Amino acid sequence: MPLPTNRVLVVEDEPNIVESLRFILERADYDVHSVADGVLALNRMRNETFSAIVLDIMLPGMNGLDVLRAVREDQRLADLPVIVLTAKGQAQDRRAAEAIGADAFITKPYSNAEVVERVDELARR
Amino acid sequence: MEKSASRKLTGLKIRAYRKQAGLTQAELARRVGISAPYLNLIEGNRRSVAGALLNAIAEALGIDAGDLDGGAERRMVQELQELASDPRFSSAHGAPSGAEDLVGSHAGWSTFILRLARAYEDQSQAILALADRLNRDPFLGETVHEMLTSAASMSSAAEILGHDDLTSDQRHRFGEIVSADSAKLSETARSLLAYFDSAEVRVRSATPMEHVDAFIFGENNHFPQLEQLAQDHLRGGGHAQFDKEAALREARIADAAAAPETRRFALLRGAAASIGSEAIEDITKGHKALPTDEARRLAGAALLSYLTGAMLMPYDSFLEAAERKRYDIDALCRQFGVSYEQAAHRLATLRRPGAEGVHFAFMRSDMSGYVTKRLPLPGLSLPRFATACPLWVVYGAFQSPGSTVRHFGELPSGDQFLFFARAIDKVPPRIGYPRKLLSVMLACSAADAGRVVYGDGLDRTNAMVEVGTVCRLCQRHACAYRQEAPLLETAGVSDKRRMAAAAPTR
Repeated sequence: MPLPTNRVLVVEDEPNIVESLRFILERADYDVHSVADGVLALNRMRNETFSAIVLDIMLPGMNGLDVLRAVREDQRLADLPVIVLTAKGQAQDRRAAEAIGADAFITKPYSNAEVVERVDELARR
Repeated sequence: MEKSASRKLTGLKIRAYRKQAGLTQAELARRVGISAPYLNLIEGNRRSVAGALLNAIAEALGIDAGDLDGGAERRMVQELQELASDPRFSSAHGAPSGAEDLVGSHAGWSTFILRLARAYEDQSQAILALADRLNRDPFLGETVHEMLTSAASMSSAAEILGHDDLTSDQRHRFGEIVSADSAKLSETARSLLAYFDSAEVRVRSATPMEHVDAFIFGENNHFPQLEQLAQDHLRGGGHAQFDKEAALREARIADAAAAPETRRFALLRGAAASIGSEAIEDITKGHKALPTDEARRLAGAALLSYLTGAMLMPYDSFLEAAERKRYDIDALCRQFGVSYEQAAHRLATLRRPGAEGVHFAFMRSDMSGYVTKRLPLPGLSLPRFATACPLWVVYGAFQSPGSTVRHFGELPSGDQFLFFARAIDKVPPRIGYPRKLLSVMLACSAADAGRVVYGDGLDRTNAMVEVGTVCRLCQRHACAYRQEAPLLETAGVSDKRRMAAAAPTR
């Protein structure tokens, strides 16, 4: 069975953003899944196979940095490409995410093409 | 050093007052019954003068002898010297010398410089507080995040609307998203404006406790009126005007299970309230640093504890004992029947001009890093709004409650201090709950460490720990204990030093 190369998980608690991301990524032939919560996101990553994760940093409860840290500490997930979505655009958040091992960054507001490009780079490498 | 500084000042002042009075050396010498050359030696600081002769000179000049022997000036000299050695102001030519001459001949200008330095310090603290607030205020952070999220959603949906192959349902749906998020964006922007407009915001940046901190710091944590009251009370046998009711009220506040020292302190605090409330009100009422009722109330409570401490540990005998026992807090506890924290706090009040002990900074923190008492030292500011450097012993002390943890620490400025701390049980342990520990830290300049038992056996040259104050102000980039990135990316003093050290030498 070939590995799925088009499943993307969007972790974002803002439904309108999820809807737009779903639309643009589906147009680029991705199979888009979404969760609004960090703990649920980790559960799905551990039980399913994704080729890339789009992860918002400001999540209720377990925040994006904590999710990323858990991903990197989990041997089976350590190589999973993670694109961090940050609204703050602050050097501090970015530095923290870089240190933990984010693969790419998208800063809100972003262009749709940029999102697709980042996902293409990482999911289809 | 102190004596010679004082002599130097006295001579200079006699000369200044004599000139002011329009007298020649010969004339003044004749009036006080000494030779003119001898007066010349005194004015030139080559002979010390005190006692009857000093009184006679003062009388001849029509001033108080106290104006000439200069306790207050000595403190000004010290403060100016500290200021001159502050790395923030130091220049390539090193610190200026001659603080004694400045104070002796230009007392007004000296006061002015010190006032300017204090105002500068206040402003720096205010800027720090504001920067801190902008960085940390959860409302601002969340609001900015919300606005950018709305903007992201709008721009993304608007881009989608640009595609010409949308179904009418899709077109309708993304149109809805744009209008919903633009409404949300305006709403968030409005609440942000309201936040900046509200008066509450301005008040929040200076809480009453901060006012009390500023007040105590401004008064150098020494209150002569209260010391005098405590002394008078003890001289009168300690029973005068004792209000039993008030004492019992205070004692009830102290838990019956509390340590005997704590209960004794609470009982005496009642007595202090009955003899000191008037004096305390005099101090706090109309004080510039205490602009609100709440600040005055809190300052009053702090002063009441101060007075109680002064009654339990009278200034002169406590200073004498502290010097003799080399500031060994446990020994002082035994001698005066007080708790560790009470003795430690009292040590930080030994600042009477002319009879000063070692100057200590004082800090008390709980296990979560919440600071409940703080008294900084020049060169060692204690964080008010953030947790301190994780390397400080105030935190390390929690790893071994009841024992003293100590080290020499060097700040990025190059200033070196001796830090020592102990975590103490604040309330008796309760089953099912963590111990309520508070860590009490004192710190003194490393130069004073020889006078303090806690410096014994520590190797100041090899065992100097590189500490900071607050991560965001600290330039030790590679520190393994760093919690957050520095706020200012400027080259700090230590960086400059490193560069200087790395520069080729001849």
